[in-house]
Amino acid sequence: MGGTGWLLRRLGYGVILLVGVVVLNFLLIRLAPGDPAEVIAGEMGGATEEVLAGIRASYGLDKPLLTQLGLYLANVAQGDLGMSYFFDRPVAELIGRRIGPTILLVLTAQALSVVIGVALGVIAARKPNGPLSAFVSVFAVIGYAVPVFWTGIMLIILFASVIPIFPVEGMADIRLRDAPWWEQALDVAHHLVLPAFTLAVIYLAQYARLSRASMLDVMGADYIRTARAKGASEGTVLFRHALRNAMLPILTVAGLQFGNLISGALLVETVFNWPGMGRLAFESILRRDYPTLLGVLFFASMMVVVANIVTDLSYRLADPRLRNAK
Amino acid sequence: MTSIPDAIAPEAGAAQAAAAAAESPAREAWRMFRRNVPALVGVGILAVILAATLYGALLYPGNPYEIVWAPHEPPGATAAFPLGTDYLGRDLVAGLLTGGGPTLAVGAAAAALTMAIGVSLGALAGYFGGWVDDLLMRLTEFFQVLPTLLFAMVLVTLFSPTLWTIAFAIGVVSWPQTARLTRAEFLKIRQLEYVTAARAIGARNGRIMWRVILPNAAPPLIVSATLTIGVAILFEAGLSFLGLGDPNTMSWGLMIGANREYVLDAWWPVTFPGLAIFLTVFAVSLIGDGLNDALNPKLRGR
Amino acid sequence: MKPARLARRLTAAALAATVSAAALAPASAQEEGGSLVLVTTQVPRHLNGAVQSGTATAVPSTQLFASLLRYDEGWEPQPYLAESWEVSDDGLTATFTLVEGATFHDGEPITSEDVAFSIMTTKEHHPFTTMFAPVESIDTPDARTVVMNLSQPHPALMLALSPALSPILPKHVYGDGQDPKTHPANSEPVGSGPFMLEAFEQGESVVLKKNPNFFVEGRPKLDEIIIRVIGDQSALLISMENGEADMYPFAASSQALSRLQDTDRLVVAPEGYAAVGPINWLAFNTKNEKLSDPRVRRAIGYAVDREFIVNALHRGFSGIQRGPIIESSPFFYPAIPAYPVDLDKAAALLEEAGYGDGMTLTVDYLPGVPEQQKNVAEYLKSQLGKIGIEVEVRAAPDFPTWANRISNHDFEMTMDIVFNWGDPVIGVHRTYLSDNIREGVIWSNTQQYENPKVDEILAEAGVETDPVRREELYHEFQRIVAEDLPIYWINSLPYHTIHDRRIGDAPTGIWGVMHPMDRVHWAESKE
Repeated sequence: MGGTGWLLRRLGYGVILLVGVVVLNFLLIRLAPGDPAEVIAGEMGGATEEVLAGIRASYGLDKPLLTQLGLYLANVAQGDLGMSYFFDRPVAELIGRRIGPTILLVLTAQALSVVIGVALGVIAARKPNGPLSAFVSVFAVIGYAVPVFWTGIMLIILFASVIPIFPVEGMADIRLRDAPWWEQALDVAHHLVLPAFTLAVIYLAQYARLSRASMLDVMGADYIRTARAKGASEGTVLFRHALRNAMLPILTVAGLQFGNLISGALLVETVFNWPGMGRLAFESILRRDYPTLLGVLFFASMMVVVANIVTDLSYRLADPRLRNAK
Repeated sequence: MTSIPDAIAPEAGAAQAAAAAAESPAREAWRMFRRNVPALVGVGILAVILAATLYGALLYPGNPYEIVWAPHEPPGATAAFPLGTDYLGRDLVAGLLTGGGPTLAVGAAAAALTMAIGVSLGALAGYFGGWVDDLLMRLTEFFQVLPTLLFAMVLVTLFSPTLWTIAFAIGVVSWPQTARLTRAEFLKIRQLEYVTAARAIGARNGRIMWRVILPNAAPPLIVSATLTIGVAILFEAGLSFLGLGDPNTMSWGLMIGANREYVLDAWWPVTFPGLAIFLTVFAVSLIGDGLNDALNPKLRGR
Repeated sequence: MKPARLARRLTAAALAATVSAAALAPASAQEEGGSLVLVTTQVPRHLNGAVQSGTATAVPSTQLFASLLRYDEGWEPQPYLAESWEVSDDGLTATFTLVEGATFHDGEPITSEDVAFSIMTTKEHHPFTTMFAPVESIDTPDARTVVMNLSQPHPALMLALSPALSPILPKHVYGDGQDPKTHPANSEPVGSGPFMLEAFEQGESVVLKKNPNFFVEGRPKLDEIIIRVIGDQSALLISMENGEADMYPFAASSQALSRLQDTDRLVVAPEGYAAVGPINWLAFNTKNEKLSDPRVRRAIGYAVDREFIVNALHRGFSGIQRGPIIESSPFFYPAIPAYPVDLDKAAALLEEAGYGDGMTLTVDYLPGVPEQQKNVAEYLKSQLGKIGIEVEVRAAPDFPTWANRISNHDFEMTMDIVFNWGDPVIGVHRTYLSDNIREGVIWSNTQQYENPKVDEILAEAGVETDPVRREELYHEFQRIVAEDLPIYWINSLPYHTIHDRRIGDAPTGIWGVMHPMDRVHWAESKE
C-alpha cells in the first residue's frame, strides 16, 4: 500500500513541476525583447502593420498575458502545444517525430556508459593498485574534462577520412526507406555507434571510478566477510552481494545525470546531424520559433521527471530498507 | 566528480578538534595537498595557462582578428604561424592566447554566481529547516528538472549574448547541486554541540550561519567550487560552439564552432582549441581532486 | 546571346509562341526510373512557392507545381501549362491557351479559373510585389483560355510566369477562405507538377514520387526525388563523396567546390543560375548621418579591394560584381564606374567630407553564410582601418534578429546577399525605388535610398517594350546608382550544381534546379 501511495504522490508532484516549467518558459519567452508577430512576418518576408495585427490576432498574441498563459496551459493538457512559427505545423507533430531518435540516443548512451563503466570499475576494484585501476583514475578525469562536442568532431575526422567504417552523420540512409525492417534497424544501429559512444564517454569514465570506489567500500564491509567466511564463491560474493549494494550509488548518480545527458545529447545531435529533439531546439532558437522551443523544453523536462521517478522507484526496489518507507 | 550526497556524519571528535584549533586542519590539508602529485601537476598546468592568457600577448604579438595569411595554412608549414591559420587566414596561436581570457573569465564568474546562489539557498534551507527548507528544496528540484544547456541557451538568446549574460545564464542553471551539498553540510553541522552552544549564548542566526557553520562546511564546498569552475568552462565552450556565445570576443569554444564546417580540410583549428579547453578543465579537476583528498577526513588513510 | 536579340525575346509584344520542339522532344539515350537524392543546407518552411520566396521552397515547389511557362534552355519561354500565348500590340493584354487534359494530383482538371486564382493569390501574397502588380484583372472566357488585363505594359511578365515564381494552385483546395500563407495544404500540396508529395519531414527531407498522370507525355523520367536537408556542410560533403547523395545545388563555398572538384564521380557545373543573379554586397544606410554623404560611401568603395575578396577570401571561385544587375545579364552596363582600389583616393575623399580624423562605423552581416558575409565583414574591419575608419563588426545570433535590425533601419552598414530573380523588375527595382522603403520588410529598399531620377528611369524601364530602349534605360540607371553608391556591390555568388556524372539532362537552364526536373534521368545505371 505504501508503494502505490508513494508512486501516486511522486507522479502528482512531477505534474506540478511540469506545470511550473511550462509557466516559467511561457513567461520568459513572452518577456523576450522582440515582437513574435514580427518574427513570424519576417519569415514570410516582412509585413505591414495591418498584416502584423492579423498575425497577432490569429496567434492570440493580442490577449492579456495571463489569458494567453491560461489558454496555453489548457491546450497543453490536451496535448496541443501550439503551432510552429516557422513550419505552420503543430509543435506536437514536429516533436513527436524527433523524440524517438533522442530517446534512442540517450538511452543507448546511458546503457553503454553504465554497463561498460561498471564493468571497468568492478574489474579495477579487484586490484585497487593495479594498472587498470590507474587507468580508470586517469580516464575518469580525462573523460570528464573533454568537451563532448570536441570528442564528436574528433571521431568524425577519424571515421570520415581515416577509418571509414561508421557513418558520421544522420540516423539512417534515406535510400533504405523501403527496405525490410531488420535492414533498417541495422542501418540505424550503424549510425548510432558514434553519437552514442561520444555521449557515453563522459559518464562512462565517471561510473567506472564510482563503481570502483563503491565496490571497494562495499567489499570491506562486514556482510561480505561473513559471506566469504560462510564459504560463498568469489563470483557470488562479487555479484550477489557486493555489486548489488554498490549499484545503489551508481543508480542515484545515473538518475541525476539524466538531465545532463539531455544537454549532452543536444550537442551530440548537432555535431552528428542526428534528427532528435535537441537539434530541433537548437534550430528553433536560430529561427526564433518560440512555440517549438517551448515544446521541446517541456518534453525534455518531462523526460527528466520521468527519469527521476524511475530512478527513485528502482532505488526503492533495490534497497529493501527503503521499500516500505514513507 | 564526487556527486554522491554526503549523508554520513563525520567523527564528532574531528569536528570538535576543528572548532577548537581552526588553524591546524588547514595546515594539515595544505601539507597533504602539497604531496599530491596529480594535484600539483594540475596547478602547474593551470599556472601555465593563466600566464599564457594574461601575458602571452606581450611575448607573442599577434592580432587574432587580423587576416594574416592564406586560410587553412597547416601547422608547422610556416615559421611565423606555428599552429597554422584558420578558415579566415587568422593566426591560430594568437587566437588561442586571446581565447583563454573570455573562457576563463566566464568560467570563473559563472562559478562564482553558482556558488553565491547555491551556498546561500542551501545554507538557508539546511539551517532553518521546516517550511523554508521545503520551499527551497522545491525550488531546487524545479531548477534541476530544467535541462541545463537548453535553458541556458534560451536565457542567452533572450538577453542577447555578451560575456556577462552567458556567465549569468550558466550560473542560474547550475546552482542546484551546490545548494544540495550546502544544505547537507549545514544540516549535519547544525546539530553539533558547538552550534547549540552558540545558540544558547544568544548568537544571532546570521552570525551562526556565516561565522560558525560555514567555515566548517567549507572543505566540501571548496572542492565543489573548483569542480564548478570546470563545469562552467565546459558550459561556456558548449554555448560558444553552438554559436550562442559572445560573437565579438574570441573564445575557444567559438573557434571550434566557427571552424567546424571545414574540419575535413583543416583539423587543427578545431583540435587545438579543444585541447586547450581540455587541459584547463583537466587541470582544474586535478586540483579539485587534490583538494578533496586533502580536505575530506573520510578519505584519509586510503 | 546579344542583348538586343535577347531583349526582343523578352518583350511581350513580339511574342506569339509556337510549340517549341526542343522542350518536348526526348533527350538522348536514357533510362527510366531510379531515384535522385538532392542535398541542401536550406530548410523549406513549406512547399508552396506562390506565397513564399527563396530557394529552399522553390526547389520542391517547382517539382510539385506546374506554371504557365517554363525555361528549359536559355531565356526563351517555352510552353508548359500554356500551350500557346499572345500579347496584344499595346502590351496591355496577354492571352494564354492552356493545354488539354492537364489534371491536378487529385485528378481534378486544371482550368483557367485555377490559373486566374493562382496569379491573383501570388500577386496578393508573394513578397515580390512587382511581379504581378500591373495585373489588374484576369478574365476566363472558357476553361482553357486565360486573359490577363494589365494596367501598363509589363515585359517582366514572361519571367514572372516561371515555375519558380508562379506555381498554379488548385482553387478547389485554396479557395476555402483560409489564409494561403498558412494554409495546411502548403505542407501537403496538391499540385500539377511532374512529382507528387510522398512525405515531408520538416527540417529533414522531402520525398517526391513520380506523378503517373503528368500532362507531359513520357515525363518525368525519375521515379522519385528525395531532397535531404543537411545543415552541416562537412556532413553534406561527405554524403556527396560517398554516393549517398547525387546532386548538390547552390554549392558556393570554396571548400565544397575545391573538394568535390577532385571527385571523379562528380561534375561541378556552373550553369543553372543565370536567372538567379545572386549578388553579395555592402549596403549603406543612406539616412545615417555619417553615410549620408556620398563621398564617404565612395571612399569606402575605393578602399575595398574586390580582387582580394574574390581571389583570397573566395579562393577565386566567385566573380567580381560591379553593379546592381548581375554581370552575366544582358542588361549589365559594362562601362559602369567600378571604384578600383585606391587607398589614397579613399583617404582624400574622407578628408573632403570632413572625416580626415577618422570615424567609426558598424557593419552587420547575414548569419549562416560565413565565407560570403562574415569573412568579408572581418576583412572590411581590417581594410577600412587603413583609411582611418574603425569598423565594429556586429553579429546577429540568427536571421530574424538580423532581418529585424536591417528592415527597421537600425544599422549603419550591412553585408547582404540579394538575388536579381530574372527580370530586373522582379528583383532589382525593389532595392532602389524610393516608394519601396518599407519598414519591417527585409529586402525592400532598406538603404532608404531616394533619387527621383532613378525612380523615373526604373518606372519607364519597367514598361518599355522596345528592347533597345529598355537596355539604354537600365544602363543609365546603373550609371546613376554607381555614382550615388547606396550599395557597394562586391561579388556574385559562385553557385554551382555538383552532380553525379551519370545524370543525364542535368538541370542547367536559367533557373537550374528551381525548375521541373522532369527530363532528368540516369543516363547510366547507378549500380
